[in-house]
Amino acid sequence: MLKGKKSLKVAVATLSAAVLAGGLLTGCAPANTGGTLTYLTNSEGWTHADPNRNYTGLHIAWFGSYMHRTLTAYDRKAGAEGSTVVPDLATDTGRASNGNKTWEFTLRDGVTFEDGSAITCEDVKYGVSRTFATDIITDGPTYAIGMLDGTDNYKGPYNTDADNDVASYDKAVTCSEDNKTITFNLRRAVGDFNYTVTYLSFSPVPKAKDTGDGYDLKPVSSGPYKIQSYSKTDSMVLVRNDKWNKSSDPLRAERAFPDKIVVKFGQAEEVRDQLLIADKDKYAVSLDALLPTNQSTVFDADGNPKPEFEGRAINVLDPYVRYAAVNVSKLNCLPIRQAIYYAKDFKGLITLAGGQAFNGDPADGVIKPLMGLDYAKTGYASDDPNWKQEGNVAKAQELMAQAKMDCPELHARVTDPKRGIVYDIADSETNKKASAIWVESLAKAGIVIKFNFIEPGSYYAVVLDPSKQGDLSAAGWGPDWANASTVIPELFTEGAGFPLSQNWNDPAYAEFKKRSDANLAEPDRVKQGKEWAALNKYVMDQMWVIPGTFSKTQEIWGSGIGGAFFWEPQGALSFGDLYLKK
Amino acid sequence: MSGLLAYISRRLGVMILILLAVSFTVYLIFSFLPYDPASLTCGKNCADPEIIAANRIRLGYDKPFYEQYWVFLVGLFAGRTYGEGQAEIFCAAPSFGYSFQQNSCVTDLVGNAIPVTISLAIGSLILWLVMGVGLGVVAAKFRGKIWDTLSTAFVLVGTSLPTFLTGLILIVFFVIKAPWSPFPPGGYTAPDVDIVGWFLSLVLPWITLAFAYAAIYTRFVRSQILEISTEDYIRTARAKGLSEGVVLGKHTMRAALAPIVTMAGLDFAGLLGGAILTEAIFNLPGMGRLSLNAVVDIDLPIIVATTILAATIVVVMNAILDIVYAFIDPRVRV
Repeated sequence: MLKGKKSLKVAVATLSAAVLAGGLLTGCAPANTGGTLTYLTNSEGWTHADPNRNYTGLHIAWFGSYMHRTLTAYDRKAGAEGSTVVPDLATDTGRASNGNKTWEFTLRDGVTFEDGSAITCEDVKYGVSRTFATDIITDGPTYAIGMLDGTDNYKGPYNTDADNDVASYDKAVTCSEDNKTITFNLRRAVGDFNYTVTYLSFSPVPKAKDTGDGYDLKPVSSGPYKIQSYSKTDSMVLVRNDKWNKSSDPLRAERAFPDKIVVKFGQAEEVRDQLLIADKDKYAVSLDALLPTNQSTVFDADGNPKPEFEGRAINVLDPYVRYAAVNVSKLNCLPIRQAIYYAKDFKGLITLAGGQAFNGDPADGVIKPLMGLDYAKTGYASDDPNWKQEGNVAKAQELMAQAKMDCPELHARVTDPKRGIVYDIADSETNKKASAIWVESLAKAGIVIKFNFIEPGSYYAVVLDPSKQGDLSAAGWGPDWANASTVIPELFTEGAGFPLSQNWNDPAYAEFKKRSDANLAEPDRVKQGKEWAALNKYVMDQMWVIPGTFSKTQEIWGSGIGGAFFWEPQGALSFGDLYLKK
Repeated sequence: MSGLLAYISRRLGVMILILLAVSFTVYLIFSFLPYDPASLTCGKNCADPEIIAANRIRLGYDKPFYEQYWVFLVGLFAGRTYGEGQAEIFCAAPSFGYSFQQNSCVTDLVGNAIPVTISLAIGSLILWLVMGVGLGVVAAKFRGKIWDTLSTAFVLVGTSLPTFLTGLILIVFFVIKAPWSPFPPGGYTAPDVDIVGWFLSLVLPWITLAFAYAAIYTRFVRSQILEISTEDYIRTARAKGLSEGVVLGKHTMRAALAPIVTMAGLDFAGLLGGAILTEAIFNLPGMGRLSLNAVVDIDLPIIVATTILAATIVVVMNAILDIVYAFIDPRVRV
């Protein structure tokens, strides 16, 4: 099977080379090249255009396709093959040594910024250093801070304090004499560090052009397009980067189709959808998901595109898992956590949200089936004979009876109408309606639930503060790259990225931690995947989360757009493959 | 004349005091909102209390309120610097601060938004005055007749339809479902870039906004004219044998114009603060959208600036109207 795939890749590569050679010989532009591709979005500007501050899949997919290159990237393919890591600025996908604690990448020849200057190891090193300046270079991934060895006292390139330990950073990240090979010295073994560097936080930034926060408006391109104009309240216009060296960029060489790319910000959501539904501009693409009110116009009851939208709309699983994180430090009684899981009326909640066809399938854990190697059925949700979509009251009552014997104090609180359990959730009309379903379904099992509606803008600031977090917190999580190393440890390890479950005092934590740490250093990816899948089941066995849905997204574009497919690792369209049909 | 100058001086002095009071009050209100401005400057990294604390010191939010307000006032006249070294940002005077969410000095953002809002406000003002005054006059002149009934219906529809719905209806029927339509679905074109594009980008927003205001003005003008028509001097004019046209145009309208101008001036001033819904539906990057997004994103420096500016416009417009009245009516100067 592997051999077959490899042969296919060779065949495709040969064909591509032939097409390229043909194009060069005749001097013709490839078919479908040219024109202006328009994106419509309700957003007021990009959250960030600075590569070191890009974090979401949408941003990485868009800027990674057009402007910002990094050391490695995901292959531009539909399906699971899209999660394969391929070289980008680097000549290969990285060379590990020292038990995966040292990683080396060599830059390709001919890679340049938009002013024609060569991209060097120092530019990459400088870009990574900016991610340490978390007071200015905000919102980006902070993997470098967590992974680079001995950099605890480094505060980034802008900080002028005497105690800013620049030397430690220079030791952790080194450049070869020819300024082409960058070496990362890590504090622990990271078997998939070449996935980590797919993040644009590992993109090069020319120090001379860096203006700190202001760089977000005028980032320097290293890809096939550069910014002609950018106003967060109006539009961004990209034009071809004439200093881009096509031969240094096999990933994008035959893909930079349009001559011009325009993003129109601030489109009213309903207007945006109506323009696309009516195909008013057939060369337009929505950067946002379709409004729920327009789903039935575009898709049938099963969630498939209606005939008139065939080929220009998709309804697919996005990278996220929605769940209620259990604050295990407060709900330290397994039967109660299980009772909540069985009592919950999933059917009522998903119907309220617009139905399963558009909102997703019942989740059986925190790893999504899209994760390929790392996913295996956990036996929960639809595979659990005791689980019912409308809630299994009898099973929940049985567990509550057991809880009364196992943990009487907590049982008394949970069933006390004056106390009960507290569910943190963002304040919205939909969530208020959902709260009624939760209250009603859990009441059947004797569980009292109260809701703490939090202003959406400060939701995570509240729930990530252990002194303010309730018993349950609504949450969602997607992998940072196609490895559950960015899911399981991030959600359930003390001090990790999103530790809402606060499960480190649970008796089951010690074993979890031991297995999770060992698996992070596991060099065999297949073996590692199996263990993540097993740990996903382990987490569910402890009920450290009440799983919700494997959520879905609906995207739409104009009839004149070709090349669109859902790029799974980024959870977005593969923007760099879009072209205007002739 | 010296009386007039003294009056203007007094009026301008009061205006400055009001503006200071407005800025102080707005700054005070936003300083005591249940939001920590420091925790709104570092995005998702703000989950780290150390970063919030560092930003609080770096941006001066650790200082007492009165010191922060003084720095704000100084910034208005001398500009302000944020950060240091390569990351240093200078916002030139008049500086209203720096938006970390927009990566820009607030004054620059306001400077970009104001021309859009002025374009929208002036066009719609002209349109609603023509429509509102015209229909109001017609309704009064043909009181109880079909024209009056029709204008009443217009008033009812105009005051009932929310602006966003009017805008959406116009977009659907004059853009989306009209292949021949010259109007863009939204966005703004600067007049110095393309004057025709500027005009076309504003026609539908002008109509949307004018529709709502014209309904109010129709009702107002109709009642003004009907009220003035019962005055003794109007009866005298008619008794002198003047034609209805002269009575209406020369005597009734002259008396009705003063309150209409006052009302229009204040409405215009209010619009300069931003027509939030119209700007949002037509994707016009004006003061309204700037304010709306700042509120949604809790972008405090922009909220403070747009609030103070909106209040300033109203205060200045009031002062101008008072001064104009002083020219017209000497009794006001006392």
